[in-house]
Amino acid sequence: MTEKEAEEAPRIGVYVCHCGLNIAGTVNCEAVARFAATLPNVAISKDDRYTCSDQGQELIKNDIKEHNLNRVVVASCSPRLHESTFRKACEDAGLNKYLFEMANIREQCSWVHIHDKEAATEKAKDLVRAAVAKVALLEPAIETEVPITRNALVIGGGVAGIQSALDLADTGYKVYLVEKEPSIGGRMAQIDKTFPTMDCSICILAPKMSDVGHHPNIVLLANSEVQEVKGYIGNFKAKVLKKPRYVTDECSACNDCTEVCPVTVPNEFDIGLATRRAIYTPFAQAVPSTYIIDRGICLNKEGIMACDKCIQACERKAIDFDMEPEPLELEVGTIIVATGAEVYDPSSLTNYGYTRYQNVITSLEFERLINAGGPSGGNLIRPSDRKIPESVAFIQCVGSRSERGNPYCSNVCCMNTIKDSLLIKEHWPDVEIHVFYVDIRAFGKGFEDLYTRAKEEGVIFTRGLPAEIVEDRKTHNLWLIGENTLQKELYKINVGMTILSIGIQPCHDSDTIQRLCTLSRTLDGFFMEAHPKLRPVDAPTGGIFLAGCAESPKDIKDSVTQASAAAARAGILMAQGKVSVEAITPKTIPENCQLCGLCARVCPYNAIAVDKERKLVEVAEAACAGCGTCGAECQFEALHMRHFTDAQIMSQIDALVEEAPDEKIIAFCCNWCAYAGADFAGVSRMQYPPNVRIIRTMCSGRVSPKFVEHALSRGVGAVLVAGCHPGDCHYINANIQTRKRVEKLWKKMDRLGVDKNRLQLLWASAAEGEKVASKAKEMQATLKKLTPEEVEKGKQAFAGS
Amino acid sequence: MVPRKLWRRPLDSEQIKLPKAEIHIIPDLCKGCDFCIEFCPRKALEESDKLNKRGVYPPKVADESKCTLCGFCTAICPDFAIFTTEKKEETSRNGR
Ligand SMILES: Cc1cc2nc3c(=O)[nH]c(=O)nc-3n(C[C@H](O)[C@H](O)[C@H](O)COP(=O)(O)OP(=O)(O)OC[C@H]3O[C@@H](n4cnc5c(N)ncnc54)[C@H](O)[C@@H]3O)c2cc1C
Ligand code: SF4
Ligand code: SF4
Ligand code: SF4
Ligand code: SF4
Repeated sequence: MTEKEAEEAPRIGVYVCHCGLNIAGTVNCEAVARFAATLPNVAISKDDRYTCSDQGQELIKNDIKEHNLNRVVVASCSPRLHESTFRKACEDAGLNKYLFEMANIREQCSWVHIHDKEAATEKAKDLVRAAVAKVALLEPAIETEVPITRNALVIGGGVAGIQSALDLADTGYKVYLVEKEPSIGGRMAQIDKTFPTMDCSICILAPKMSDVGHHPNIVLLANSEVQEVKGYIGNFKAKVLKKPRYVTDECSACNDCTEVCPVTVPNEFDIGLATRRAIYTPFAQAVPSTYIIDRGICLNKEGIMACDKCIQACERKAIDFDMEPEPLELEVGTIIVATGAEVYDPSSLTNYGYTRYQNVITSLEFERLINAGGPSGGNLIRPSDRKIPESVAFIQCVGSRSERGNPYCSNVCCMNTIKDSLLIKEHWPDVEIHVFYVDIRAFGKGFEDLYTRAKEEGVIFTRGLPAEIVEDRKTHNLWLIGENTLQKELYKINVGMTILSIGIQPCHDSDTIQRLCTLSRTLDGFFMEAHPKLRPVDAPTGGIFLAGCAESPKDIKDSVTQASAAAARAGILMAQGKVSVEAITPKTIPENCQLCGLCARVCPYNAIAVDKERKLVEVAEAACAGCGTCGAECQFEALHMRHFTDAQIMSQIDALVEEAPDEKIIAFCCNWCAYAGADFAGVSRMQYPPNVRIIRTMCSGRVSPKFVEHALSRGVGAVLVAGCHPGDCHYINANIQTRKRVEKLWKKMDRLGVDKNRLQLLWASAAEGEKVASKAKEMQATLKKLTPEEVEKGKQAFAGS
Repeated sequence: MVPRKLWRRPLDSEQIKLPKAEIHIIPDLCKGCDFCIEFCPRKALEESDKLNKRGVYPPKVADESKCTLCGFCTAICPDFAIFTTEKKEETSRNGR
């Protein structure tokens, strides 16, 4: 299709998908298709069982050729799911892919109005009408290609980050691996054996760690911090601060310094069960093996050299107190986020007495105790008297699956306990072992076998968690009191030591990484994938991928699998060497431009330059992310936001309010958060009033005040502007403009005597479907109180907008 | 790395053998500059309340167990009025 052809009168094909019964179960698809046929410019209109299937796509392709269609609308699921599928089909049939539009009648219609078939069908008609109106105004576009830097940044050096880094480096790409701790290894370095195969954890991890240390394609930046990430897919610029170790690469890890260092503190790696010095290495297999000085406790403070014991002891002259933090700027094409997770802190569950009772330990402390290289030399001693207890109890789901703690299942704790119980039985077969559980989740390969083995070895499994632990003051033994929910009887059991099987939770500082990489998080706090099934390792931001426990709690095998997948996904991009950027950047209309520079001021990417001398405004297309904030700011219609033009959005508004405008809510939702959140409400089948009509923009910053005013002038009941939470904006901070504009509009409405409750602002993340649904309900209540006079007042106030 | 607070006494706390210090002050040599008090990284010294012959308040030991024998006071003292030695008794404990 040439541009000339596209300029011809629109000949639109409309396809209404049943999606089996997903849509057709609620929406009368035939009726919607019949309705579409009556709309202007529609050449043909059909309904189809599965439009995304091969046959469905073939139908569209054939029709494009046979009926000479020059525009296509598919009314089906969310464009976030299948827009690219249908765009591809159009392209295959020779139609420019920007001449396609979707109406979301599944996630945002049939799934959320299950019990109101009539209203859902009416809504679907409206959504199709809006899509038809928009598609008629769409323009063909050619995407520009940008090169992809063939370097990758991996953040986090746990087993997932290690695997991703090695895979990419082996493929031939240069990898920067940034780890905030002095050594890579993550949680896996701390644990003793690994379920289900009972391999020694560090024995299988250490060779990989050392491969990372020696790989010619890997630059390992331990003790470092990512401070800034700028740019876009293929072309990120990351600022990393490499903090000083005060020990140079000359260090041979001989340990001479440590022996003389006079300062001791509990070692973080052993969860405080052992001591370290101010100069130390976190554990024997650490990579890099270079020691590090903890300046927080070293006697030498800023400016004063009080102690030189380690300097004297070090024969290789490796200690250097003059080391400075090293700021680095990395240029990378792809980023893998593998920042892992933390363990739950059980001290807030006061009924279990952790930190009050010596002999209540966590499963992570257990790992260090049972480890032959750990603080007790692998002897399962209890802290109070350093003796091997005659009996122990494990308590499951501590901090998981409960309101006191985290609501989700931490995935690894059941198998970890089974593993631990077998380790005890292996060394001390006479120790009596109790496991108190809610459900045992042994779903993976080889897991059930291990569970069976534990039962055969005599581990006593009791269903029902203890309500309380009480310590015997004299013996420091522990009484566990609770109810066996299978036998419906109370138990009171005395054990020598209790192990709390603690859950996994997101890192306390994951909001920093979230902000730097513009990621989203689920309600649980873990990073959200672009699509839970089909793009499980892609982050919503192009060029960024997720691996390991940062995405959700999982075991080592799953972490490694995901890490290899993330590396492959990043590798595909880098192998292609270039990526096309969506043709949604603004075009300037010089004859309208007054050179006011407002657009340049609001652009979060500094992509607009005002050249007063040449009387020009220039958009750097590669830097522009397509948020549209500039377009909403321009007062002179001098910016043409491609694919989201003023005319296109106005046509959607008009189409949606054609019938019974005062009963409707127009909701402008940003693609990344609010629109995705509305999709999520659909996936979760949260029901809300059917009078909400959503218009998708890339960013809430695209929502120009004139859109709102126009809707009010047409007598719409209410308007919602919804975007990402402040600070989480997918376009850095474009939603600051959203807030400013809405606040201004409220003032204006006040001034003109229009009820300002009719305009609402909502911040909702992609995971907050519930927020979208409850906002819709809340606004519905306002709508019910709306008088015809009020509607008229709004119409008058904004007449002509 | 892991929890935000480490609350246990490390299992090896008795095995770790740090040399015990004895701080020696020769009060009458002190000229009261207070360098040792100010710069002792462990804050093991404090001002005494007894005037010395030079009419100043020399330092006194606040907590000898804090001293790590870094020797900084000895090095910094302009008047050779302070030095530290390792305590010989009760050094042999079990462990390394
Ligand atoms: C007690 C316990 C026992 C377990 N036992 C088993 C078992 O037997 N078998 C099994 O398969 N799984 C087990 N697991 C699960 C296993 O530990 C995880 O699957 C695995 O560690 C996940 O690896 P990861 O790389 O995703 O995260 P992690 O191991 O947590 O590593 C993340 C790394 O990223 C670093 N990092 C974090 N934030 C940043 C940042 N902002 N910048 C730079 N670096 C950062 C961290 O310092 C860390 O090194 C157990 C877990 C626990 C808690
Ligand atoms: S200067 Fe002294 S206190 Fe600091 S790390 Fe070296 S030996 Fe330890
Ligand atoms: S810093 Fe020097 S003394 Fe300390 S481990 Fe390294 S080489 Fe040995
Ligand atoms: S404001 Fe947004 S759309 Fe406009 S130039 Fe900047 S990044 Fe591009
Ligand atoms: S440094 Fe010497 S002179 Fe100065 S206060 Fe201490 S003991 Fe006295």
